[in-house]
Amino acid sequence: MQLKPETGTVRRRLIAASCTLLTASSARAQEIAKLLADIEKTDWHLDSALAYYHEDGRIMAVEPVVNLSRDYGDGGRIGLNFTFDALSGSSPNGALPSRAPQTFASPSAKSLSTARHTYTTGPGQLPVDPNYSDARVAVGGEWQLPLTRLTRTSVGGKFSYEDDFLSASVDASIEHDFNQKNTTVSVGVSDENDQLHPIGGTPVPGSDYLLFEKTGHKSKNGVGTLLGVTQVMNRHWLAELNLSADRFTGYLNDPYKIISVLDGSGGMTGYLYENRPDARTRRSVYLDNRVGWNRASAALSLRYMTDDWGVRSKTAQLRVRLWLDGKNQYVEPTLRWYRQTAADFYTPWISSLAGQGPAYASSDSRLGAFRALTYGVKYGMKLDERTGRTGSEFSIRAEYYRQTVENAVAAPGALQGLDLYPGLQAFLIQVGFSY
Amino acid sequence: MGGTKDGTASDGLVVEERGGDLLAVCFTAMAGPCELLLPASDRADARELGGLVAREAWRVEQKYSRYRSDSVLAWLHSHRGGNVVVDEETALLLDFARTCFMMSDGLFDITSGVLRGAWTFDGSDRIPAPAVIEGLLPLVGFDKLEWQSPRLMLPAGMELDFGGLGKEYAVDRAYDILADCRSAAFLINFGGDLRANRPPPCGVWQVGVERPDSDREAVLLLELEHGALATSGDSRRFLLKDGIRYGHVLNPRTGWPVVGAPRSVTVAASSCTEAGLLSTLAMLQGSGAQAFLAEEGVRHWVLL
Repeated sequence: MQLKPETGTVRRRLIAASCTLLTASSARAQEIAKLLADIEKTDWHLDSALAYYHEDGRIMAVEPVVNLSRDYGDGGRIGLNFTFDALSGSSPNGALPSRAPQTFASPSAKSLSTARHTYTTGPGQLPVDPNYSDARVAVGGEWQLPLTRLTRTSVGGKFSYEDDFLSASVDASIEHDFNQKNTTVSVGVSDENDQLHPIGGTPVPGSDYLLFEKTGHKSKNGVGTLLGVTQVMNRHWLAELNLSADRFTGYLNDPYKIISVLDGSGGMTGYLYENRPDARTRRSVYLDNRVGWNRASAALSLRYMTDDWGVRSKTAQLRVRLWLDGKNQYVEPTLRWYRQTAADFYTPWISSLAGQGPAYASSDSRLGAFRALTYGVKYGMKLDERTGRTGSEFSIRAEYYRQTVENAVAAPGALQGLDLYPGLQAFLIQVGFSY
Repeated sequence: MGGTKDGTASDGLVVEERGGDLLAVCFTAMAGPCELLLPASDRADARELGGLVAREAWRVEQKYSRYRSDSVLAWLHSHRGGNVVVDEETALLLDFARTCFMMSDGLFDITSGVLRGAWTFDGSDRIPAPAVIEGLLPLVGFDKLEWQSPRLMLPAGMELDFGGLGKEYAVDRAYDILADCRSAAFLINFGGDLRANRPPPCGVWQVGVERPDSDREAVLLLELEHGALATSGDSRRFLLKDGIRYGHVLNPRTGWPVVGAPRSVTVAASSCTEAGLLSTLAMLQGSGAQAFLAEEGVRHWVLL
């Protein structure tokens, strides 16, 4: 009848039993706590960030972002976001480096000889338009409202403005919880309408650069669908699977990109505006796994995308968050790996010997084959005690991105020895504040 | 413990300033004073967090109170003899109670409440007749329940009482809720059963354990950084006959008070539930309390 067969037996069994008692019912308690917190939290929550982005020797961008959100006790939520982008620097125009200097006109020109702004690229250098600058203002809103205890719907819209580009989109989705809120299924649709007003007019796709064949504004339309399942695997593990498809039609070219035309010995004989198909259908699968422990959490996401242009991309991203100083600070290293195949019509140059040029062609490196690695680290500090509000945080993030061209085609004759595929390096610093 | 009071607002909470730059949000639950202690911060925030804690305490109290007709406990008692399906939380508590019953060889028993019908610890010498106790014993024993989660059959005449673990459980529940939304230091104290997440800026939490028979005089000052403390006490409830002091801790197997139990046992553990069970089990060992605690290798403080 004595309670002491061996040291600590009762205690060990008690720890195990109380662990079962306290962790198993904790999901329920969390739900209650969230409900209560929702009722209390009717203040606006502010999320802001200022990012500085720098592409090695090219573009520099400064981007402030402000998100405002407000939760209503009944599960309703309103979110608003404002973004302002200021880009400046130089952007590759798509042409190849050459042994001789190359002269280009700024997009607004009507002909090369009357152009007010021209730029000349030295021998062996990648042609970039040095006067590239753009400012973008974007606003978005989202409204989520509960339909029943287990079903929510949300509608949203986005509007983005640039000097030469206007984009408006709407989306709607519905979510339903199953399985004691451990499973959530969501279905969404979206529609996007873009207007392009390129400076100097819209080039006729595939036309000769020197002829300056321009037309008026163009548009493109996109529709998308999304099917998602989120599953609580256990107290520490959340998995999410998304299937999405979208289709864009209309003018899908970059109006400022041209392609070099080379003769058999690598001599530059001229340039053509790029010419992309006028429809693109993409499908993607996205799997996200989040695991959390007391002092650390990790998120591993995998994405596979394929489209009817022949681009297939794979992304893998691992993010680990380590909590320091209780849970007042964290460090979050990130590693992202990306690889894509080239679009069927991607070509670094067009051969003048082929007679009639290809039906579609683009030398935009974003449509070429490449792989990229991003290394990043974020540091965050909770400010709950200082601001007196839960969810207050200061963070700073640094990322380094390196892109390497794959399957590079050897250059003909005269261009051999030039760096035709310089790849890309960029870094980003972002400072964030939430209140 | 002087300080400025806000006065009890309609939400049943009182915010007080305490020494060591602490704020206390006080409320009453489970028939005793309860409080949430925080390093001094905004009063409105403290009240908000205190509200989360109080609501959880009141929820657990409402659900498992012996004194309310709308509790789950009352519902179970009204379905005695029948086969009922209990909710998930109650099922977990019953599982836990069974584990404790088995591992203590029947000493910890949530069905022992009927024995209180025979004992009234009013300081007098009215010891019940042994026959009365003999007559109640058939109604005591967790093993007499038919319990297969989530189905329960509570035989006629038997009673359940979560009083032996409800308060500690409520502390842990409230702790989890708060730990999810707050990383800064806090301490939850429900009538002496308490749990803290981390030390306050001023160093350590100082906890006074009352001497059970002296009114509210802290005789034991403990320092706690984090973790839980629970105290089981003989308190002021006893009978005295022929020089023998019969404390209110009953042995469910005999129906008689445990002999030689300390006045109070305080145990430190990682959760309040664990600490509470260890201190209760120690009390049930009677004079063997200290040996039991030493054997289990837990930090403990015993008042004889």
